[in-house]
Amino acid sequence: MSPTTLAHAIVAGVLLGCFYALMALGFSMIRSVTRALNLTHGDLIILGGYLGYWLWIGSGLHPLFLVPVAAAALLPLALGWQWLFQRLREPKELSSLVLTFGLSLFLQNGMLALWPGEYRLIASEALTASVSLGGLTLNRGRLLVAGLALAAVGSLHVALGHSRWGRAVRATSVDREAAALLGINVDQATQSTFLLAFALSGGVGVLFATLHYLSPSGGAELTLLAIVLTIWSGAGHARSVLGAGILLGVVETLTLLWSGPRWRELIVALMLLGTLLARAGGLVPRRSR
Amino acid sequence: MPRGGLIATGLVGLALILLPPLSGFHPYYLYLVSTGLLFGTLATSWNILAYAGQVSFGHAAFVGLGGYGAALASLHGLSPWAAIALGGGLGAAGAVIIGLASGRLQGASLALATLAYAEMWRAIAQNWDEVTGGGAGLIGIPALPTLPWPSPDVSGGRAGGYYLSLALLASVLAVFAGILRSRLGLALAAIREEEERAGLLGVHPLPWKLLAFGLSGFWSALAGGLYVHTVRVVEPDLVFSLHFSILPLVMATFGGVGTLLGPAGAALGLYLASELFLHPYVPAFHQLPYALALIVVALYAPGGLGTLFRRRRHGAA
Repeated sequence: MSPTTLAHAIVAGVLLGCFYALMALGFSMIRSVTRALNLTHGDLIILGGYLGYWLWIGSGLHPLFLVPVAAAALLPLALGWQWLFQRLREPKELSSLVLTFGLSLFLQNGMLALWPGEYRLIASEALTASVSLGGLTLNRGRLLVAGLALAAVGSLHVALGHSRWGRAVRATSVDREAAALLGINVDQATQSTFLLAFALSGGVGVLFATLHYLSPSGGAELTLLAIVLTIWSGAGHARSVLGAGILLGVVETLTLLWSGPRWRELIVALMLLGTLLARAGGLVPRRSR
Repeated sequence: MPRGGLIATGLVGLALILLPPLSGFHPYYLYLVSTGLLFGTLATSWNILAYAGQVSFGHAAFVGLGGYGAALASLHGLSPWAAIALGGGLGAAGAVIIGLASGRLQGASLALATLAYAEMWRAIAQNWDEVTGGGAGLIGIPALPTLPWPSPDVSGGRAGGYYLSLALLASVLAVFAGILRSRLGLALAAIREEEERAGLLGVHPLPWKLLAFGLSGFWSALAGGLYVHTVRVVEPDLVFSLHFSILPLVMATFGGVGTLLGPAGAALGLYLASELFLHPYVPAFHQLPYALALIVVALYAPGGLGTLFRRRRHGAA
């Protein structure tokens, strides 16, 4: 294996990892604020992608303009999901998995009925050109997506760390009851988290559709990815999700370099299985009792 | 069981036995109800595991292992009966392996581990072209032979497949009824309610849990083997489909986890309602009943979920 191939794989892995982090953020935010695990996460990304594809075919606009439209389109769903999640019984993690597993089936079938037939891709020429950077040839779309991911993670990091809203969200995720006792509007913090997470998923979906073919059942793999990153990143800070994403991206590209592209899905499933078995203590880091 | 319930169960059973001649051996309805019966088998075997407090999100793994095992054995010249039994063994082994690996996992972690396990097998079936035929799968699986008794009308073709599905459901119900009345049932209930305390009282949890995994995997895989010999093709997205993980969970949860007949009844009811009443009119939303059933249980009817989760409700988590 030549050094250039290796360098290329690592750079590609980092770019991929930034995108993975962006895809996982919504899942991780909802988990940290409500303890609920949303198995429809990947399906929502795919839904955003289909909406973007549909608008792109209809309007011919640059895909980037469609990102906010798809993001806005998922906001009503955010309210519906929040309504359902509020009513879940203890233990919340397992109940949320059961509920969203069923909803995932429903979303996948809806998408299959609306967009049947072959797989779809937003094949915009604006994004497929290659760029040469320090001797490495990279895809412009992937660079752009990685840049957007960094910008999103950065602004979320700043907003969570340095704003009233961020303080409220952080307090709610550390201890909901205590935060409410201290006069923090936990319902508002929860609702804004759902809205933001769903908007992110819808927008990410459009970006996903410019890089990968959409299929109605493709969301499951994205959900597994989001779960792996959320477990790896522990407490769910935006920057640790980014770190986990980059780690996963590099591990994946290096493994694929060694094994060939056939076994991509297997690697993701094994990562999740291995992570869970290694952390038999539980998904959430134990708080002091 | 109260007398009313017993009578109703008997009537449903009788109706299911008489359905083929009464429907004039209608191929479509027989196919539909036998698929419903297979889902009943699947929901009941999911329930055996849930009775021990283990919530699986990956029963597609066992259905798929049974399906592929039976298909490959059949295509290599084994008789379909032996092939289906072999597939059942493969599914049981696959279930014991994940049970062993995830021995210390509980609740949400176990659910996610089984989900990943099913995805793992799907990815293997999808890409191991030399053995599984990759994404295109395997075709030309022989049909089930017609039994000499009682007559080709009843023991061959769609009616034969129908009666086999009914017999499979009856056998898994008999096994579960036996479990509920035996020491095994007590041990599984003890593990569900308080795993650590069960261990202290001398019920070492692991062997019992593995037995529950094995039984559950075996019957799910038999259903998978029977299914591929009915449709006569096998593809990764057909037998390792998320459907086979989600639907048994929905059906058993809706029917009442831990009850003997609830999961099978819910399976037949939900499946037939979805296929007969919704599929012809609103194909896009024909799976709405499953989503609604889950929402109703999760939000308003803790009877199903509640019994399963009782252990944790007053726990320290």
